[in-house]
Amino acid sequence: MPFLIENITLVVLALFVLALLGNIFLIGVVFHRRHRRQKFFRRVDAFRERYSPVVAGVLSERLDYPDGLEQLRTIACPDRLTVLERLCLEKKVSPAEEPRLRRLCEDLGLVKIWQQRLMGRVDQASLREALSNPQGLLRRVKILHFLIRSKSAENLGLIRHEASWPLLVKALDDPNPDLQVVAVRSLAAIHHPASFPPLVEQLHKAVVDPAGNLSVRILKSALVSFSLQSAGKLRDSLRHTNPRIRFLATDVIREIVEREALGRPEFRLDSRNFSEEMAEICLTALPFDENPDVRARSAPVIARLADERAASTLLKLLDDSIWFVRLHAARSFAGSRFLQHAVRISKALTDPNWRVREAAVRTLRGFGAPGLDLLTAHFLATSDRYSREQIADEFQRAGLIPALMTRSTETGNGRETAVLRHLAEMGKTSYMIAALENGAGNGKLRTSFLELLGQSPDPQIQQWVEEVAAREADSDVRILAQEALGDIRNQGDD
Amino acid sequence: MELWRQVFIHGMDIFNILIISYFLIGNGVYTLLMALSLATVWLYNRRMAYQDMDEIRESPVTPPVTIVIPAWNEEQMIVETTKSTLQTDYPELEVVVVDDGSNDGTLARLVEHFQLTKMDLIYRPQIPTRPVLGFYMNPELPNLLVVSKENGGKPDALNVGINICRTPYFCTLDSDSILEKDALLRLMRPVIHSPVNTVASGGIVRVMNGCQIRDGRVMKVALPKSSLERFQVVEYLRSFLFGRTGWDLLGGTLIVSGAFAVFHRETVMEAGGFAHDTVTEDMDLIIQLHHWAALHGRRIRMSFTSDPVCWTECPATLRMLGKQRRRWQLGLCQTLWKHSEMLFNRKYGIVGNFSFPFHLYVEALGAVVEFLGYFMVPLAIIFGMVPALLYLLFVLLSLAYGGLLSIGAVLLEELTYRRYPSYADLAKLLWFAFIENLGYRQLVLYYRFEGVVRFLTGSWHWEKVTHVGVTRQVS
Repeated sequence: MPFLIENITLVVLALFVLALLGNIFLIGVVFHRRHRRQKFFRRVDAFRERYSPVVAGVLSERLDYPDGLEQLRTIACPDRLTVLERLCLEKKVSPAEEPRLRRLCEDLGLVKIWQQRLMGRVDQASLREALSNPQGLLRRVKILHFLIRSKSAENLGLIRHEASWPLLVKALDDPNPDLQVVAVRSLAAIHHPASFPPLVEQLHKAVVDPAGNLSVRILKSALVSFSLQSAGKLRDSLRHTNPRIRFLATDVIREIVEREALGRPEFRLDSRNFSEEMAEICLTALPFDENPDVRARSAPVIARLADERAASTLLKLLDDSIWFVRLHAARSFAGSRFLQHAVRISKALTDPNWRVREAAVRTLRGFGAPGLDLLTAHFLATSDRYSREQIADEFQRAGLIPALMTRSTETGNGRETAVLRHLAEMGKTSYMIAALENGAGNGKLRTSFLELLGQSPDPQIQQWVEEVAAREADSDVRILAQEALGDIRNQGDD
Repeated sequence: MELWRQVFIHGMDIFNILIISYFLIGNGVYTLLMALSLATVWLYNRRMAYQDMDEIRESPVTPPVTIVIPAWNEEQMIVETTKSTLQTDYPELEVVVVDDGSNDGTLARLVEHFQLTKMDLIYRPQIPTRPVLGFYMNPELPNLLVVSKENGGKPDALNVGINICRTPYFCTLDSDSILEKDALLRLMRPVIHSPVNTVASGGIVRVMNGCQIRDGRVMKVALPKSSLERFQVVEYLRSFLFGRTGWDLLGGTLIVSGAFAVFHRETVMEAGGFAHDTVTEDMDLIIQLHHWAALHGRRIRMSFTSDPVCWTECPATLRMLGKQRRRWQLGLCQTLWKHSEMLFNRKYGIVGNFSFPFHLYVEALGAVVEFLGYFMVPLAIIFGMVPALLYLLFVLLSLAYGGLLSIGAVLLEELTYRRYPSYADLAKLLWFAFIENLGYRQLVLYYRFEGVVRFLTGSWHWEKVTHVGVTRQVS
């Protein structure tokens, strides 16, 4: 057939009509979808209104359990399972309510369905069901079954169904990445001690084969949710030939220990919560590991050991050749337990790496007044510009400048006054000026500052003195500023 | 005379081929992206049924993030943006606002609202930037730091933020934008879940005009009143919901909106930070990261997620819209030109062989082809080279197909997020999607064409879009 322009015209016309019909079809789908969703949510809301008080009553024991269960069993609708799942799982329950929620889910038959689905036994939906609702579609199309299986794994984790842990462990080796991730998370939620080793095994696999489905972060996040007792099962990982596995195992223990110690400054690792063998590994193997990451991450664990060798081991780490090992060691000294080593820690204030210096400053400040005294003494005595900068930084960030100024006013020529002078010499005067401006009504503070630093060559101070000399309402302060200004000019003329 | 006639006829033939191929390639790829996005976003939403945010929120291994907000003359919105950012639901979060030498009250408003004090802190630049003038902090709000610096442009301000940030990831946020409370958690999820180093993770940017805002939060989502803004709502839906989602699925991400995106700090630093030589520093960085990964043989990943939402104010006037679109087009041309060695370069995989050529031909040069088409084809009809009926049908087809793609974006929105709850708004959205190609498209095309002209003439300056605060504030 010859290629005629009429043919092209016809093709374009047909395409235009098709596109137009496509527009109309899509608009229809949008409105149909909106209508369907609204209908669905109205139905769910109606069930929620009627049965949420029943679930709440059962969980809080305000309602007789058999009565509540019977009422929930009467729910009958095409998406009964979805409705029941929403009713039971949409609100977070308190730890006291958890056992009752588990029992309720078991007695309603939900747990059995979730377990079966997790194992891959998904009931096939009819074509009509598949076309009429998305859940039906998921049940009909086999490649979408992973969505149902993953949701079931999630639900078992949400109710912390202990008996389901072996099924979840099995799911760790499922080819579907989503199911694997959800299984890891649910195992972490249940934290049954027996599921710890399989998770460690997955961590090893993730390290050896980084192209796998599970990320190291996901596995680490799961492992750190286990108890301190489980950490003992990482013994072999700590001795593994792969340095990254040793690092991750150390880091998992560190996270567990830090979680346990949160809000408990006196928390110690001793024979009641940490085996002697593990303590020995922490003291004699990890701080000397060839992998600096292991050495670094062992520091916070060592800091919590009740063993008297802990401090000396940490001090060794503070002298490590790798900066981030020293950084972690410096941070780990935080806490009054190591106050007696404050002088030794203050040596890290002159560390060549700024992050170590910063950590040392913060650790010392964390010691309270004695630490602050040490910092101040070092600040005044040292000729090391970098450590002075670092301490000045911390004084400002911690908001200590106004307190230093007040103290200087009270004590006259004390150490605080010397600190302020040093800060002015370093050009760190913005905060002082801001404190003076904020405390405009405090004539004594301003007078004291003018006497102390009114003649400082610092441009910010000079500008402030000029402003005070020109506009200050308090005549005494104004005169003092004018005198300071005169002195500065005289110095300039000389 | 005959020679000139022949030249004209041949020229027109070539142009006709260009315009038909532009139509076929453009719409073909967009259709593919729409189909892919429909499937991906639907599946993603189903998967959300078992993706609990608590896992990320409560896990001690969730990496800390610094949100960097570059601001230049943004006194209207900056406090609201910073407030909303500080309320972001994320376990370890720092916020760094970089005032890029504003000459309005941007810095003063921040200082006043957050009771900040000027401090002389240490600045250790690893990426060279213009000098920093001061740091502002409130010891009671230790996770907020405001930095004042000499004006050096948005990339320079972002680089200052990167230099200051200590966290392994940083998030860039435009100073006229508002984050949803859990947006950062959602944006970080692909980073946490991926076994591969995810160097960039982008989220969806939606139009805030017309919405009600209270305490730095979008309280009620509604369509704006003016047609110009409504067209942009549709445009944003299409661009983000099926454009970026589709490219992400194909592994050809070339654009991650810097208005709201997370980056891996170390990788960005190794790649040299944000460059100053284009006006779309976000796109430039993404391409630079692809380039860096190929050069160093590193396996990296970029992700786009369609549910972490950042609300932004779109231009409310033609003048501002023109400025914005000219800048986008100029930036696109500059960036593609700068990285032209990637074109059909096997080393860059999908990006070099598919995404880059598509953006070059359809998005960059397409503006010229389509713009000239509106003048050249009528000429061809006048000279009897194309039948008028065929031309008319072709125009109608392109309008109907454009409408189909826009309505597809609204369908995608309805299948997934349904942010516009009222039937009236939905109907309006569909109407504006249907008529978008009648007038608005041509208007934007004109601005894009101007952008290309600016690129060719070397007029490469940044055009600032100022906002007037068109959202309704609820006290």
